[in-house]
Amino acid sequence: MLKKRLIPCLFLKNGFLVRSQGFNEHQLLGNAIHQVERFNAWEVDELIYIDITRDDHYDIRRDDMKVKSESDILKILEAVSKTCFMPLTFGGRIRTLQDIYDRISRGADKVTINTQALADPTFITESSMVFGSQAIVVSIDVKLNANGEYEVYSHHGQQPTGLHPVAWAKQAEQYGAGEIFLNSIDRDGMANGYDTALIRQVAEAVSIPVIACGGVGQFKHLAQGINDGLADAVAAGNIFHFTELSGKRARKELLKAGIHVRN
Amino acid sequence: MQYCTRCVYPSISAVPLGFDENGVCTGCRAHDQKKTIDWAERAEWIKEIADEYRVTDGSNYDCIIPVSGGKDSWYQTWYAKEVLGLNPLLVTYNSNNYLQVGLRNLKRMREVFGVDHHFFTPSPQTLIKLNRLCFKKMGDMNWHAHCGIFTYPVQVAVKYRIPLIIWGEHGYTDLGGMFSMNDLIEMTAKFRLEHAQRGYDWFDMLDREEGEEEGLQARDLLWARYPSDDELEEIEVRGIYLGNFVNWDGNEQTELMKKFGFEESPVPFDRTYRRVSNLDDMHENGIHDYLKFVKFGYGRASDHACKDIRSGKMTREEGVEMVRKYDHVKPRDLLRWLQYVGMSEAEFDAIADTFRDSRVWQKNSSGEWTKENIWGTPSAYPVPSLTESNIEWSEFQKQAVPQ
Repeated sequence: MLKKRLIPCLFLKNGFLVRSQGFNEHQLLGNAIHQVERFNAWEVDELIYIDITRDDHYDIRRDDMKVKSESDILKILEAVSKTCFMPLTFGGRIRTLQDIYDRISRGADKVTINTQALADPTFITESSMVFGSQAIVVSIDVKLNANGEYEVYSHHGQQPTGLHPVAWAKQAEQYGAGEIFLNSIDRDGMANGYDTALIRQVAEAVSIPVIACGGVGQFKHLAQGINDGLADAVAAGNIFHFTELSGKRARKELLKAGIHVRN
Repeated sequence: MQYCTRCVYPSISAVPLGFDENGVCTGCRAHDQKKTIDWAERAEWIKEIADEYRVTDGSNYDCIIPVSGGKDSWYQTWYAKEVLGLNPLLVTYNSNNYLQVGLRNLKRMREVFGVDHHFFTPSPQTLIKLNRLCFKKMGDMNWHAHCGIFTYPVQVAVKYRIPLIIWGEHGYTDLGGMFSMNDLIEMTAKFRLEHAQRGYDWFDMLDREEGEEEGLQARDLLWARYPSDDELEEIEVRGIYLGNFVNWDGNEQTELMKKFGFEESPVPFDRTYRRVSNLDDMHENGIHDYLKFVKFGYGRASDHACKDIRSGKMTREEGVEMVRKYDHVKPRDLLRWLQYVGMSEAEFDAIADTFRDSRVWQKNSSGEWTKENIWGTPSAYPVPSLTESNIEWSEFQKQAVPQ
């Protein structure tokens, strides 16, 4: 049986790591590098790093730090790759095969694709053929719509697509996605736990691995993503910034819950 | 450049902060959040933490409190001792630049509250080298103090096997709104390295780049080495912030501490209107802060005005007046520092200029530095020479503890 994976997520906006809430409130936590160094030391299984910048502007607004301000996402990725010794999934703003090539050639092992996959699902097929499906993670952002139904949103969670996440995940699998990264917009930053019903529906519908994200406020929530949501990997963002040795504490909590993780 | 529409924070700053659609900064938003918190419930939470760490058999201290002897240290010690009934070990990293009033406060604090106190000073020779080196490397002569304050107490925690450390406020959340008050953020090695120390660790001080020939060796910086993850994990060191559990109000707390004997500075500072902050290091409110103005175009009067505007003690207009009056002032403690490290004022100014942020500063046709201001019109800020103007050795400087 494959081991379950623990995956911290970092969200980068305009050059800053951010604490995210509801996909629209972003508090600035600092530069792109230092937290990666910590995840390395804690030997987490993988790292997902997503650029959620909505324009072309990268600037940490100061120049007196050891880590210098970079104005280009690919330079930031190069710097991240120098300190990242775990499998790195790098996503955000990917529209073309060249975008994927630019990231993989700079140290990313996989990429996440969201908006472009929705705009043109054959892009999933094409990129899986070129880079291998193991490198192509389709990222799905879900929100409960006005009718109380799950709906997939694109463009940083801003635009409804009319798609149900189960239907879209199945399609993404057929088009060649290697994994699904499933995030809940409603749970983002709420710290009230995963939407395990959503995760379970998607996980039961596809045979590729599903990475759950959104809502972890206590480390015990991680085990719920696996036991109740049937996720293959559990991811979280904010919580890893709050306390010392958070990556190690998260793993201990999973082991305590009897989950088969690397120890 | 953008300024918060409610306080006076600029967007180019030492503290990373964002702005909402109304132009209100994340620091003001974090302050708003404090009004929605059930503080009685939070007081119960910290009591539970205290009970968890209380050493009932008298074999060790219950916690460590890192202290400078300032108003926050007094409040933390009072809260731990009197409210929570803990037996703390106070730990001070001494930057070697105490004001007399600051040292009096530190001494009086342990007498008033009846607590044990561990006072540590690195070798003055090392400190002088670090002052010069870090001024040149990152435009901050006080790097060693940020490092010492966030490292030495954690070393003591590991050595004495005292897992709980009680810090005061999480400064970046208080000033810039870095985290939510619901995150119950705790102290991390990452915070120390990235935010307190700008990414530079002790070993970076051994690099001997050109012009930085200070010759520091590993043995000079033993106090600056943060414990390893394994050491932290072994006794599960945990650094909580008291600011997550009490509705922190610096002004109110200072008034309370004055009743116990806390003393404000008898003379005013050159760069801020407050007399109760940073009494443990005469350069902290002085040239350390002046360098912030040189880099980013604002200073401690802005920081203090933001706090006072948010707590309702000051209007924004009054805050802007404080910015106008204080932020640009070249402080007189510079003369003392130049003697301390053996540097000329011209050399100081030339090095400081290399750190001016191009997003803030431009040179006009007369070669003077100019920048935008919060009050709308830009102005020039020529750099005066204190040495040439024969400024009197002020009352303030006489307050420094003799070396």
